[in-house]
Amino acid sequence: MTEPVNTTLGGARTALRRLVAACALAACALGCGAVLAPAPACALEVQKLTAQPNADAGSDVLGGKETRLTWEFQADEDEALTGFTVTLPQGTEFSTEDARVTILSGEDLMDRTFVKPKYSVDGQTVKATFPKATEAGKYFRLELYHVVFPTQGGSEQLSATYELADGTEKDVANIPALTIKGTSALDQLESFLEEQPWVEAWNSNRFLRLFLNPLIIVSSLPVVFSGFLMALAIVLVAFPLAIPFGFILSLMRISNSRILHGISGFYINIIRGTPAFLQIYIAFFGLPLAGVNIGNYPLGVIVMAMNSAAYLCEIFRAGIQSIPPGQNEAARSLGMNRMQTMLYVIIPQTFRNVLPTLTSEFILLYKDTSLLAAVGVMEIVMYAKTIVATTGSITPYVVAALFYLLVTLPLTRVVSGLENRLAGKTPAKKNSPKGARAKANAADATL
Amino acid sequence: MSESNEVREDVMSEDDVIVRIKDLHKSYGDLEVLRGIDIDVHRGEVVVVLGPSGSGKSTMLRCVNLLEKPTSGQIIFEGADITAKGVDINGVRAKLGMVFQQFNLFPHLSVKKNVMIAQQKVLKRSKEEAEQIAVQELGKVGLGDRVDFMPSQLSGGQQQRVAIARALAMNPHVMLFDEATSALDPELVRDVLAVMRDLARGGMTMIVVTHEMKFARDVADRVIFMDGGVVVEQGTPAEVFDHPKSERTREFLGHIS
Repeated sequence: MTEPVNTTLGGARTALRRLVAACALAACALGCGAVLAPAPACALEVQKLTAQPNADAGSDVLGGKETRLTWEFQADEDEALTGFTVTLPQGTEFSTEDARVTILSGEDLMDRTFVKPKYSVDGQTVKATFPKATEAGKYFRLELYHVVFPTQGGSEQLSATYELADGTEKDVANIPALTIKGTSALDQLESFLEEQPWVEAWNSNRFLRLFLNPLIIVSSLPVVFSGFLMALAIVLVAFPLAIPFGFILSLMRISNSRILHGISGFYINIIRGTPAFLQIYIAFFGLPLAGVNIGNYPLGVIVMAMNSAAYLCEIFRAGIQSIPPGQNEAARSLGMNRMQTMLYVIIPQTFRNVLPTLTSEFILLYKDTSLLAAVGVMEIVMYAKTIVATTGSITPYVVAALFYLLVTLPLTRVVSGLENRLAGKTPAKKNSPKGARAKANAADATL
Repeated sequence: MSESNEVREDVMSEDDVIVRIKDLHKSYGDLEVLRGIDIDVHRGEVVVVLGPSGSGKSTMLRCVNLLEKPTSGQIIFEGADITAKGVDINGVRAKLGMVFQQFNLFPHLSVKKNVMIAQQKVLKRSKEEAEQIAVQELGKVGLGDRVDFMPSQLSGGQQQRVAIARALAMNPHVMLFDEATSALDPELVRDVLAVMRDLARGGMTMIVVTHEMKFARDVADRVIFMDGGVVVEQGTPAEVFDHPKSERTREFLGHIS
């Protein structure tokens, strides 16, 4: 009783399947006819084309770094494949070593049959020839290892063909493009280093790994570099602002007006008598509470400029007072007024004399931008800190130190050059206007 | 008025007085440096002021162009009291050229620019005019080939001659020399004195504070001997050098020569 029913049911099922397949075929032929009129091959369907994510974190596929290509496709019911070709984009490296073609079948495609084809390579094209024609309508998976996409990244388009038992070759349609993320030379250097045995040996030393891990040096360089740019952007704006401000303060300081003298004295005593760190805290936490909202960068610039101006004031004051009184007398005896004397005689000489001290102050200010890390300004130390937090290595701080030295070491040489030149020209001028701060900081200038 | 002035009254009238120092006092705190100086300087006259160190002669000279502010007394320049309030002191100073012991050239400017700067800024001369005058004045003091040097590249004597040219470029009515040769090596003194001699011969009114006795004797129309903040004696070089009236003058001159 049950058998005929079964047969009938089975027959009905087969009929239904045929109908669906026919409909699908018709629809497919129609669609293909519209888009790719001369290419009738549309029976084989690409199910999946992926490259294995190869970034340290995240799901990006990076160029210039090894990945695995996985391509899955469903052959049509009446298609018995004897082989296929895949053409990879120009500049992509690959190898057929470890490559694998698998037929997936059964429930959830969990049953695997390895095809073990013969591979041959022609340019960018891999040709896989099966030992014998597979059954029709199978689901295939190709895994291609040692694939390295071009470093510049972008959208990469593969092409493929397949060969049927009757010898016809058809193009595979509708292959999705792969999105490859570009990689920098540093990324490549990092992945290169990762494979070097000496790096492993180096990192087996705890001290070296903690402070000078080559991999972290390479990976933190570009990150800390953006902090370096920020620090430069701060100091290169703040310092030129501080110069006129400090100079005006110094003129007030030496003026005969008690009020001006008092204001200037009050300002520099407050600024020089308190830590820059505290001034930064007050500005960054106090102003928003008071309803004054200034962006991190401009506020950082303002605080650094105001701080530096107080020190520059003393440098300028000492510089002006180091000009022999005879200069003033000579200018005045020629009929020049106070203003002219200041402008044409005193100030030019002052600037020449204080140039070394000014450069030292620039170095100090540049180093002091690191204090802004405490309030979240993204400068050198702040960036280094974030990498330290994720890697647990101190190496980023060492990289940060390099970025400070990059500026301070050449400038220190400039300072001594300027000092020598000044000393050579006016040997008597030993009392160069060196600020007390410069001396106090001489110790930490050596780090 | 002192006796020597009366002697000269036949040749120099009251109208010729270009600088009159009247009862000049100058104190620094309790220290009284000048204790009542009266000197008249006539147009075209070369007055040499002698005296030991600390006699107040330099202070007196610096009071003439108000580099030092007199404690009391007056400086009359071309008939006007320049110690009075509201006087354009810069305009007056431009007419009172001064040469310092330490030259005081502007080290950041070339020789030419040293001579040009005040012409341009004070007299408002054009750059071209100032430059032309600078080159001309530097030529007169024998430095025509040094115009583009920096002061530090010159000898002391050359620097002092630049300083003289710098003052002369302002067309001063009176030149004040404050120990202009004292900081120079002996062999360099001669060139500077030669320039000063030429200047005197050309009719420039000069007040010269110096220790150069020979210069005083040869060039001065009148020699003033100061000591202790007062004028002790004055007269022609012959009177002061050969027949000093005061014991103090005699002692000083005896020391020097």
